[in-house]
Amino acid sequence: MASKAYSTSGNFKYENTSMQREKSSAAVSQVQALARQLADQIIAERDAAALAAATGRVYTTFDTANDILSNNVSTVTTGLFSGNTGSLIAMATQSGQTAIQESYFRTVVDNSGRQQFSIAYGNFNGSGSKDLTGNLNDDTPSRAIYKQYAQILLAPNDLKFTINGVNTNSIYVLNFNRARFKEKIDPGNIEINLAKMNANATNPQAGLASGVDIREIIDDSSTQAGTVGESGKVYNLVSGSIDAGTSIFNAAAPVYYGLLYPEYGVAILNADVLDSQVAFGTNNANATDGKNMERMFKSISGSGAMTAVAGRTYGLQARSSEQVKSSFYFVRVKNAEYNYSNNPSFVTGSLGELRYTTFVNDPQTFITTIGLYNNNRELLAVAKLSQPLLKNKTKETLIKVKLDF
Amino acid sequence: MGYLDNSTITVDAILTKKGRELLARGRNEFQISQFALADDEVDYDLYNSEHPLGTAFYGAAIENMPITEALPDETQMMKYKLVTLAPGTARIPVVTIPGLAGSSIIQSGGVITITPQTQNYNGGNSRFGYTAILSDSEAGSLIATRTAPQQTAASVPQFIGDGEAAQSVTVSGTEFQFTGGNQLITDKGATILIIGNETGGRASISVTVKKLALAVTPGVPVNANQASS
Repeated sequence: MASKAYSTSGNFKYENTSMQREKSSAAVSQVQALARQLADQIIAERDAAALAAATGRVYTTFDTANDILSNNVSTVTTGLFSGNTGSLIAMATQSGQTAIQESYFRTVVDNSGRQQFSIAYGNFNGSGSKDLTGNLNDDTPSRAIYKQYAQILLAPNDLKFTINGVNTNSIYVLNFNRARFKEKIDPGNIEINLAKMNANATNPQAGLASGVDIREIIDDSSTQAGTVGESGKVYNLVSGSIDAGTSIFNAAAPVYYGLLYPEYGVAILNADVLDSQVAFGTNNANATDGKNMERMFKSISGSGAMTAVAGRTYGLQARSSEQVKSSFYFVRVKNAEYNYSNNPSFVTGSLGELRYTTFVNDPQTFITTIGLYNNNRELLAVAKLSQPLLKNKTKETLIKVKLDF
Repeated sequence: MGYLDNSTITVDAILTKKGRELLARGRNEFQISQFALADDEVDYDLYNSEHPLGTAFYGAAIENMPITEALPDETQMMKYKLVTLAPGTARIPVVTIPGLAGSSIIQSGGVITITPQTQNYNGGNSRFGYTAILSDSEAGSLIATRTAPQQTAASVPQFIGDGEAAQSVTVSGTEFQFTGGNQLITDKGATILIIGNETGGRASISVTVKKLALAVTPGVPVNANQASS
C-alpha cells in the first residue's frame, strides 16, 4: 500500500514535473523566438541605418576589429646583388680608388660598375701591408683593418678572431654593401666560391691553378644554431655548397674557413686556412705590400669565370633578408554602395543627369583607385588596381590593400 | 573538387606625401580609419550600351584598360570619387557656387564670398561641409567664414614640399571668403576649387586680382592704401 501510494504519488509527481518541463520548454522557446525576432529587428534597423548613413557619402569607415590587420611582420629575402640577382659571376675591382684607399680595401663592382662588396686584408701584427704615410711602426693598413673589425665584431678585450677554436692573426674580410644586404645576409643562402691559386707562380695573385679547382664555402646555419655575441648571431663558414640543396662537406669534420656575421654583412676568412686549402700564398712579410686583397679578388672572380666551364654557378651566391611590416586593409564594398560616380564623364549637362538612362535603374561604375584616409579625411595612402573593376548593384567586392612600412 | 574562391583582390598601396609626413612625425598620427574609391582614369564615354555582343561587353573597353601607377601626390589622386546613392537616383549631387560665374575679376583688397551648395541631394555636405583650395596664395587669402557642424580638418591635405607651401591654401567649412592680395607687378590669376566632403562633387571658379594702380608721391613709400580704382 505504502509502495502503491508512493508509486501513485511518484507517477503524479513525474507527470506533474513532465508537464512543468513542457510548459517551461515552450516558454523558453517562446522567449527565444521573441529574442530572435527582436535581434533580427535590431540588425535590420542597424543595417538600414548604416545604409542610410552611407547614402550620399564617399567615405566608408573601417571596422577596426575586422577590416584592419596591423603590423604584420614578414621576412622578405631577395638576391643580394644588384638587380636582386642571387649570384655575382662577372666582377671587377673598382677603378678610381686612391693609393691610400687601395692599401686598405678594394671595392668590387659588377659588370655594370655597381658596387657590390669590398675586400680587405687584416693582420694582427701589421704584416702584409705597407704604410704609405711614412709611419715606421707597425700601424700599417692591415693592422688597422684587423683592429677595426675586431673592435666592431668581437667582445671587449677579445683581441683576436677565433676560428674553430684557434686564434688567427691573418684574416681576409668580405664586406658586403649595406644597400645590398639590407638588414642582414640570409644565413643558409650564402656561398663563397674560391678558385685554387697557383702557389708556384712567381706572382701568385696573377695565377690560378689549372683546371676547375674550386673550394665552396657556406655557413653552417643548416646544422648549427650559431652563437650570439656582441655582434649578433655568428655562424661558422665551412666547406659546403648550397647548389641543389644545402650540403656541408664531411659534416662531421668540415674545413672551417671563417666566420659569418650576417647582421654586419661581413665574412671573416682565416688566411692560414686559405693558404693551406686554396694555395693563397698570403704575403705576410713585414712592411711590404703583399697585394693580398688582389689574391682574394683573383680567386673569387676566377671561380666566377669557371661557371661556364663547370656548368654550375660559382663566384658568389647570396641573399639579403629583411623584415617588412605590413598592414592589411580589407575594403568591403557592398552591393548597394559606390554605384555612382563624381566622374564628369558619368553625367551629362550641368545638372548632374546620368549619362545613360540605363544607369538610373542599373548604375555601373569602375573602380580604379582606393584611397586610405584618416579621420581628417587626409589621403595617407593610395592603391590602384591593375584593371578597372566593374561595380554595380549585383556585385560586392572585397579588396585587400597591403601597405608596407 | 572545386577551386578556391579567388575573388579577393590584393593590391599594394603607396604612402602619399601627407602619409609620409604623418608617419615621420611619429606622434601616432598615422591612423588610417576610412576609405574611398575613385575612377579617375575612366571615361564613361567608352561604356557602350549598344555593344553587338551584349550586356557582358558594355564595359569591356573600360575593363580591359590598363591602369597607371599610383602617385604619391595626394592632390593628383582620388579626384573623382565613387559615391553611394539611393537606388533609382537620376541625378548625381552637384556642387555649385551660386552667384559666381566661372570666373571673377576683383581689385586688390576686393572680397569674394563663396557659399557652395549641393544640388540634387537634400542636406548634401551639410555635416562635413566643403573643402576649398586656393591654387596660389600670392593671389590673395582664403578663409572659412562658417564651419560645418561636424567639421574636421581639410579633406585635401595642406600642400607640402619645396616651394609649394606658399602657393596653395586649403580650408574647410560651409562658407568661404577670398580677399584679393596687393598685386604690384601684374594681374594675378588663381583657381578656387570647392570639393564636397560628403558627396565628393567639385566645382571651381577662376579669380583674377587686378594690378594695383598706385598714386606715387616722390619720397613717400608705396602703400597699398594708396590704391585707386
